[in-house]
This record gives sequence, structure tokens and C-alpha cells, in this order.
Amino acid sequence: MATVVTLPRLSDTMEEGVIAKWRIKVGDKVKRGQVIADIETDKATMEFESFDAGTVLKLVAPEGEALPVGAPIAVFGQPGENPDAAGAPAPKAEDKPAPKAEPAPAKAASKPEAKPEATAEVEAAQTAAAESAVPESDDDDEPGPKATSQGTGPQGQADRGRIPASPVARRLAREHDLELGQIQGSGPRGRVVKADVEQAIAKGPQARSAAAASGAAGPVPTASQAAGSPAADVDEHGRPYISRPDRTVKLSQMRKTIAKRMGQAKREIPHIYLTMPIVMDRAVALRAEFNLSVDGTKASLNDLVILAAARALRKHPRVNAYYTDNGIVERGDVHVGVAVALDDGLIVPPVRFADQKTLKQVSIDVRDLGTRAKEKTLKPEELTGSTFTVSNLGMFGIEEFCAIVNPGEAAILAVGAVQDEAVVEDGQIVARKRMRVTLCSDHRVFDGAESAKYLQTLRKLLENPLSLLT
Amino acid sequence: MPILQIRQAIRDAMKEEMERDERVFLMGEEVGYYNGAYKCSEGLLDHFGAKRVIDTPITETGFAGIGIGAAMCGLRPIVEFMTFNFSAVAFDQILNNAAKLRHMTHGQFGVPMVFRGPNAAAHMLGSTHSQAFEHFYAHIPGLKVVAVATPYDAKGLLKTAIRDENPVLFLESELMYSVKGEVPEEEYLIPFGQADIKRPGDHVTVITWGQGVPVALKAAELAAAEDVSCEVIDLRSLRPMDEAAIIASVKKTNRAVIVYHGWPNGGVGGDIIARIQELAFDDLDAPVLRVCYEDLPMPYAENLENLILPSPERALAAIRRVTYKR
Amino acid sequence: MTQSEAAPDAASDSTVDAAYEAKLRADYDGQSREDVLRDYREMLRIRRFEEAAARAYTRGKISGFLHLYIGQEAIAIATQQVMEPGDRVVSTYRTHGFAIALGSDPKACAAELFGKAAGLVGGVGGSMHFFDKERGLWGGYAIVGNHIPVAAGHAFASQYTGDGRVTLCFMGDGAVGIGPVHEGMTMAGIMKLPIVFVVENNQYSMGTPLKRTLPVEDITARAAGYGFASDRFHVTSVQETRRRLGEAVERARKDGKPTLVELITYRFRGHSMSDPAKYRQKEEVERWRLNDPLERTLMALKTIYQVPEAELDAMDETIVAEMDGAYEFADKAPVPAPEARFENVMAEGPYYGDSATTRPAGVE
Repeated sequence: MATVVTLPRLSDTMEEGVIAKWRIKVGDKVKRGQVIADIETDKATMEFESFDAGTVLKLVAPEGEALPVGAPIAVFGQPGENPDAAGAPAPKAEDKPAPKAEPAPAKAASKPEAKPEATAEVEAAQTAAAESAVPESDDDDEPGPKATSQGTGPQGQADRGRIPASPVARRLAREHDLELGQIQGSGPRGRVVKADVEQAIAKGPQARSAAAASGAAGPVPTASQAAGSPAADVDEHGRPYISRPDRTVKLSQMRKTIAKRMGQAKREIPHIYLTMPIVMDRAVALRAEFNLSVDGTKASLNDLVILAAARALRKHPRVNAYYTDNGIVERGDVHVGVAVALDDGLIVPPVRFADQKTLKQVSIDVRDLGTRAKEKTLKPEELTGSTFTVSNLGMFGIEEFCAIVNPGEAAILAVGAVQDEAVVEDGQIVARKRMRVTLCSDHRVFDGAESAKYLQTLRKLLENPLSLLT
Repeated sequence: MPILQIRQAIRDAMKEEMERDERVFLMGEEVGYYNGAYKCSEGLLDHFGAKRVIDTPITETGFAGIGIGAAMCGLRPIVEFMTFNFSAVAFDQILNNAAKLRHMTHGQFGVPMVFRGPNAAAHMLGSTHSQAFEHFYAHIPGLKVVAVATPYDAKGLLKTAIRDENPVLFLESELMYSVKGEVPEEEYLIPFGQADIKRPGDHVTVITWGQGVPVALKAAELAAAEDVSCEVIDLRSLRPMDEAAIIASVKKTNRAVIVYHGWPNGGVGGDIIARIQELAFDDLDAPVLRVCYEDLPMPYAENLENLILPSPERALAAIRRVTYKR
Repeated sequence: MTQSEAAPDAASDSTVDAAYEAKLRADYDGQSREDVLRDYREMLRIRRFEEAAARAYTRGKISGFLHLYIGQEAIAIATQQVMEPGDRVVSTYRTHGFAIALGSDPKACAAELFGKAAGLVGGVGGSMHFFDKERGLWGGYAIVGNHIPVAAGHAFASQYTGDGRVTLCFMGDGAVGIGPVHEGMTMAGIMKLPIVFVVENNQYSMGTPLKRTLPVEDITARAAGYGFASDRFHVTSVQETRRRLGEAVERARKDGKPTLVELITYRFRGHSMSDPAKYRQKEEVERWRLNDPLERTLMALKTIYQVPEAELDAMDETIVAEMDGAYEFADKAPVPAPEARFENVMAEGPYYGDSATTRPAGVE
């Protein structure tokens, strides 16, 4: 019976091959193990040793043509046998069962054995990929994409971005029906941690989520829905207002630092604010005199304030201090930070050893610091180390204001504008130049009385400014 | 109860098992006439003779392989590496033969044997002699990996290892051979896969093993002075690992620090973190931190070595971080 | 010894000339017809098994690496004949020949190649990891040379327990440079273990001829350094190989002295199925073919023992049918059950991974 010789797979990765050269021709008698062809595989050209013996009835595959593994390439048999009989789709039932019923060549040619399996594998892989692409439903988290695309219900949490919280804090909040966004985080970068949630639980219902509060009243309208209500959207003539999208400005490093430090200060420091009016006529006169007689610099009123604040600190070391759990640290040196406003933020470079400096030196220092702050050429070490801060918004016409204590200090002096005021002195109304300063301080470090005493000292220095020249 | 050093507990475990079972023998460099490089086999040659306490040439691959071949024939070898650093020479034997033969032969053969010796950094031995091998071996299915830190654990676990039907890597510590502790006179075995709480606590779970245990305990003491209470879990066996003990403790404390010898990348520490985040994600209040070697080769110079090694101070810093008390 | 010298001193023509026949008669002097027929049949079984493996590989039924033993069959047959019950063969990734020679079921061998549950090792090993402990086949090692210390360990166990067994440890010429061989042999020499190390020198370390891998081409020159006896010869017949391997086995069993035997042989196929073996000349292969123990035995049967061609053909047909049957069995045999992957990892029973985080879905 004729045997169909198929293109062998000669390497584990071979999918097709080329008969580079036939070593036999029709009519040759082939022995088992005889080289019958050179076959180019994906790796090499290899000699193909026949597994079959017999007479070559037909060479099916031409030289040089790429064929899939398993494609019929030749037919062997007895001399005179019909080669095409071997390729009949249904091999004739003969005396013995056809050993391993070779696949019908026609079928094999069009659909080589290896292919369907490979295709099946690809399909399986695609299915697997598709399955794994669907996130497992996990109701314990607030996955960003799911929340925004599908909406997680009435909380509208998605609008507010992801709130940093530890997993256990999330779980506790969920279990106690608290909204994470209502809880102040005490962890790094404001992360809500377990202790914060426990505190909120102890505090009671005010932190309960809006969803729970509104209960059956239905979904709370989102911000965009509210804006979309007809009443809000048109003017009295029925013309729509021009709506512009919100703009998110990326946080600069300075903004981030300010946010972090001011946030920390407002959270941690119990502030106390005392305001003192100071008559500045003599100080103004002294400054004018000074600027006329001293070369090399021009002093500002603020320079006088800085110098006076520094000298007063020497008398009140508790104001030149900071708080720790282990004790209050009274600073040995006086470095007065001067708040300098920049385009997007502010920095506070210190006038070092300000209490020991002359007015001239202070004014030189302040000018230099201010100029270089705006040029951004201050060195990092020139930006740190202040023990007390003076912030002056008087040039903007601000009468008085409350500032936030810089972490690591106990107080900041908020300085308002010098204004002509009608003042009653000894029963007489007189015109005076007056300035209001507010000492904003950390109540953990000292109390109101100490603050008041410091302000008295400061007032005495500024109202009798000659002492500042000594 | 008698007080023994770890080295004596190890010797007693081997001695008792060799007396119990004639198939057990000890093989390695200097185990016989020299009485062991660290005196863990002191007196065994005199007691059992050269047939069962076998000095080998310096051929880690050779005698590791002989142990494997003998175990396949039904013997119960204990192969001592003078240090586990030298087991790298025999790594192929452990990886491809000891760990795989039961599987590869479809259960026709087993490899019941123990590879033991000191592991991890000792003191100023330089980069080639200061490495922790549990991270390599715990990666391999087919092996068991044990690390001991007390005489009690050493004896109970070594006896279990010798009786186990699988290849067991038994990791000791050169610096801890003299550590003393109570060891009962009566026989006892400690099963694998059971962690031991070396110090109970509520605020932070400190997971450790082997040479990390004294570091973790010291750090827990320092933390206690700051009112932070640490639960120190000595895993004792790394494969199998007592996952349940870790998870139960983390669910209580919500915080974990892992203290161990070895590099950070691709090691057991990272594996433990993977388990915690998968099994106790909703119970975490802080990221889980590792205190281990810096990701660097070990220098000889003492000051540099001290910078790289995990210390109680570094562990304390990690404990502060996970409790948000920086 | 150079390549050309290594080739057999035979005529360049495949017809049997007078010198060839004289040598053949000398080699088969004293051999009974039955013994020679048996040796031929056993060798032919290996060859036909291997040819069927090659064929199945070309049809995509076998994957991975497939290293054939064609040309080296006489070694496995002679080894089987010198073994006593309980003796062990530890071999390499080219190990089908030993399995067939030692009596492993060709069905189980074929099923192993097909990755089927009925395989010699349940389909987890494949061609390179054959083990059949019951029949003395102790591996099946696919990391070159790493079984030498293990085989020494088996011999050590024999010495420790006094069971009187001998371990025969086989390796290729390409293995002798690797470290574990040196360490294992050093230990065997020091401990005086009952072991025979056999290097099957088939001339090529994969594709590199031995003159480029061996500083001294006589591998047995190393025996002195280990305190071994040694022997070295061309494998041209089963009976000669049997006689000389037998001496080495006896030495191991009686005197506890290891022997290093170098058998000079040839594989007619490439290193593995994907190797076209272009690194050697056609003429070289043809010269070796005349030295092929199987061919020489066939020639002896025809010329010396006058066995009728029809009898030999019938024997061949029977063997081909047996091997075809084995592969047919393997083809139809079921693949391992999914749970099979949990078996035999740990001694305690099914093992699903150490962690709840790494266990397969659905497993507690």
C-alpha cells in the first residue's frame, strides 16, 4: 500500500519548510534512513532521512516552495501502484488497518496538524487576557476609574479625587458609615489613619456621610447638576451666562511647601492673637533723619520694626522659642525672618543675629535679602533658621491682620500700615501716625499676658526709637 | 532545666537522632577529627566512629551530591556546610537534584536529608562570606527552609528536620552559636510552619527569623521606652511559613516591620509583604517596612559593615515610621 | 588520536571485503548464534524505538529536546548484561537506550515522550528525565555532569549498608570538564566506592569535536589522579563491551575500587533533533557506519551464522510493529489530570503552594 511522506517538523519551532533539493526521483527504490531531500527549516538546511521504505511513486512537493509541516511531499509504494490512491480521503479498508491512518493529504495541506492547536492557544490566551482585563469586583475599595465612569452613588466621592487613607482607616470608615473626606488625616501627606477614624467615631455623627444623612431623600445633586439648573444659568434677559471651565494649576514646589507647613501649623498650633496700636511719629522722623545722614542705605519703617522686634525678643526669650513634647526650647540666638512676597508664594529669609545689628546693617540685610529673593539667588542656608518672623502688609493698606506661626517658631508679628489718625492724648484730639501690630503666637509656648508684655516692650522701643540707634 | 548553647543543642539533636536511627550520618568539612569548624559536632566522631561522622575534602558539590544520592537509597544524611556561603558551590545539586528528584521521578525517589550550617553575615568577613541564603532557597518548591535563634528551637527543629521526608535547609548563625537558653532534658520536636511569638505586643508586628531575632527584640525594647508595644514574631520556618500567625498579629496591630539578614530585592521580606497586603490589606494602617541589609555587597571595614547590617536603631526608626511617630 | 584515526579501519566500500570479514570472524569467535541473535534483537529494539521517536517528533507529537541513542545501542545492551539485580544505572539526558535495554515498557517510554500520564514518570519528565527504579534505571539527568556526585552517593549507600550493589554512572565526553564530575570522582576515589564511571565518547560535545574540548584526548588519563583503574576501547560489538565492562563491575563489587571506562562510539544523528550536524563530514559518518555495532552484528549474522534474510526481516518487522504500537498507544493515551501537577512535590502528599496568596484558585 502506498505511503504518503509528509514534510517533517525538524525543530521544535519549525512551522513550515522548503524542499531545497530532492535527492530522489520517481522510480527510485528508497531504503529506511536514506537521505531523500534537503529541507530548509527556520534554523538550518537539514538532510531528511526517510522513515519509510519503498519505490518513489510521486514527488508531490516542488523544490523551493514553502509548505506547512505535515504537508504531503512524496508518495512511496510498490512499483506500478497508483500514487493518488494513497491520497484518497477515505483509505480503503484493506487486509490490515492502515497504520495510524495518515491524515488525508488534501486536508493536511490546507490545515496542517499544528495549526489548529496553535490557533486554539491564541484564542485561549485572548480569552484569558480579556477576562483579566475586567477588574475583579471588589467593593472594599474606591477604584478611580470605576468611581468616575460608573459613579459610586450619592457620595460623589469621585469628584473630589482620591483621599489618602490607610486601608484599615478605609475599612473602619466604611463600617461606621463615615465619609473619609470629612475626616482630617494626621498621617504623612494628610493620610487618614486608623486613629483619625477612631476619633471621628468618638466625636459622633457630624462626620457621617452625606449619603447617610440624606437617607431616603434620594441622590444629592452633584455640583455640575446644580449649575445646570435653569434658574442659575441665565440672566434677567434669559441669556445664558458664559461658563468657563475650572482650571487646575499645578502645585509648584513652593506652593506645596507652604501648603504643608501652613496646614501643619494651623492643625497643630493653638494660635492666640493680640493687637497693639503704636504711635510712630518719632519713628517716622527718626527714619527720615537717618536716611538723610547715613550713606550707603535707606532704612524703611519696617527695618525699624524688625530691629525693635529683635531687641524686644532679647528681653522676652519665651517669645523667641518653639514647642516640643519634651519641653519648650528657648532659642539662644535671634534670627528674624522677613516675609517676602513672590509671584506665587512667599519666602521668609532671616536677618541673622538681628538683635545685635545696627539699623544700618539691618536695612542693608533686608534689602539684600529682598532683592535676591526676587532673583531667586538665595542659597538654601540663607532661607532657613529664623526664630521669629515679621510679616508686613502695611504697604497694601492693611490695618491689621492675623498671620500663621511658622512651624518651629513661637510667634509671628503681623504689621499693619502706618496711618494718620485722630488720637486723644490728655483730653486733646491730636493727629498721630499710628500703626497696629498683631502678635500671633503659639498658646502652648506662652500665654496672653506674656504676649502683651512683649508688645509693651515693642511699643516702648518704637515710640522711643533713639534707643534703637544704640 | 539545663542551660545549653545553640551549638550544644545542635550537637545533642544530631546525637540523639543518630542513636535513634542508624541511617542518619553526618558529612562535611572538618566535622570529624576537628570536631566541627564551630564545634557543633564535638565528640560525635568519638561516639559514632568514622563510618557515620565523615570528613570530606573541600568538594561542596561532591558531598552535597553524595548526600542526595545516599538519601535516594534510603539513608538520612546530614550535610554540614562550613558556612552556607559555600552552599553556592553546591547550588545546582540543591536546586536541580535535592528539590526536584521526587517530582522528576514521579515519586520513585525521595530525598530525605538536611543541609545545615551557619548563614548570613558574621563579623567582618567581607562580601563572599556574609550572605543570607534563605532568600535563594525559600524560592524553590520541593525544599523546606528553617532558621533558628534559640537553643530550644535549634534542637526541636533540627530533630524534626532529620526526620522529615523532604530536603531541609537548616540555617544557623555563627554569631549565635554561643547563645544560651533552656533546653528540656526530655525529648521534644517542634513542627515546621509554626512561628513563635518571642515578645507579645499590640502596636506593631515585628516579623523576623534567625539572626534577625535578637535585633528585633532589642528594637522592641527601645520602642517600649517610647510607649510603643511591639509583637515580635520569630517565623522559625520560612518554607513552609506560618502565614496565619503573621496575619493574625497584623490584624491586631495594623502595622508591620520585617527585620532580617539579607538584601531587600527579591527576598523573603518582600514575599511576606506580598502575603500581608493580599491577606490583610484592609487591616493595614501604614506601609509595611523592611529592615535588612542595604542593597550592597558587604564590605570588610567595620564601620561600613555596621551601616549595612540591620540594627536595633534602624529597626526602631522603622517602628516609629509605621506608628507615625517620626 | 585524531578524528580520522578514530574512525574504524574498514573498507571504504559497504561491500564486505576479505579483511572486514576476517576481523568480523575473529570478533565473533566463540559466540553462539542465539547470543548474537539476542544482542542484535535488543539493539534493534532501541534503534527502532529511537527512529519512531524521531518520526513522532517530526510530526509534532514530541516537543522539547530529543536526543537519540542511534549508534550507541551496544553500550546499553552490554550494560544490562553485566548488571546483577539491584545494580544501578545513572545516566544522562540521552537515556532512552538504557530504558529499553533494562526492560522498561516501550509504551511507557513513548508515553513519556508524548507527555502522557502513562509515561515512565507520569509525563512530568519528558525525554531528558527517564527514571525506572524497579528496572535499575536511576536517571535521567539533564544538567550535564550533575549526576556524578549523586551516583557516587548511591555507591556510598551501598558501602554504608553493605548491600553489595554496583552503580554504573554514564556520561558523555562533553561532561568531563564540568566541576561536579571532578568533585564526584574525587569523593569516589577517597571513599573507595563500588562504582564504575563510563564515558560514552561519541566524538562530539554537542557540535564541538573533542579535540577542542579535551586538553588530553585520552580521558582515562584522569583515572590515575582519582586512584581509579581504567579501560578504554572502541565499541564495535556487544560481547567485547560486555566482557570489559564486566571486569570493571567485578572490580567495584569485589574490591571496592572504582574504574573509569572510556567507550569510543558514535552517534549517527545530530546532538538533538534540531541539529543538522554540519560540523562533520559525510565521509566521516560513512566510515563510522561500517563500525556500527548493529550493522556489524547484522553482517555477522548473515555471513558467519548464515541466518536467513527472511528470519532477520521478520524479526525487524516484529520490532517495528512493537514500537509503532508503543507510539500508537502513547498517541491515544490520556494527558495527565490537572491535579497531577500537585503530586510528588513534597513527601506529605498533594502540595498546592506554600501560601494562600500563591495557591491555585479553588484550592484551600
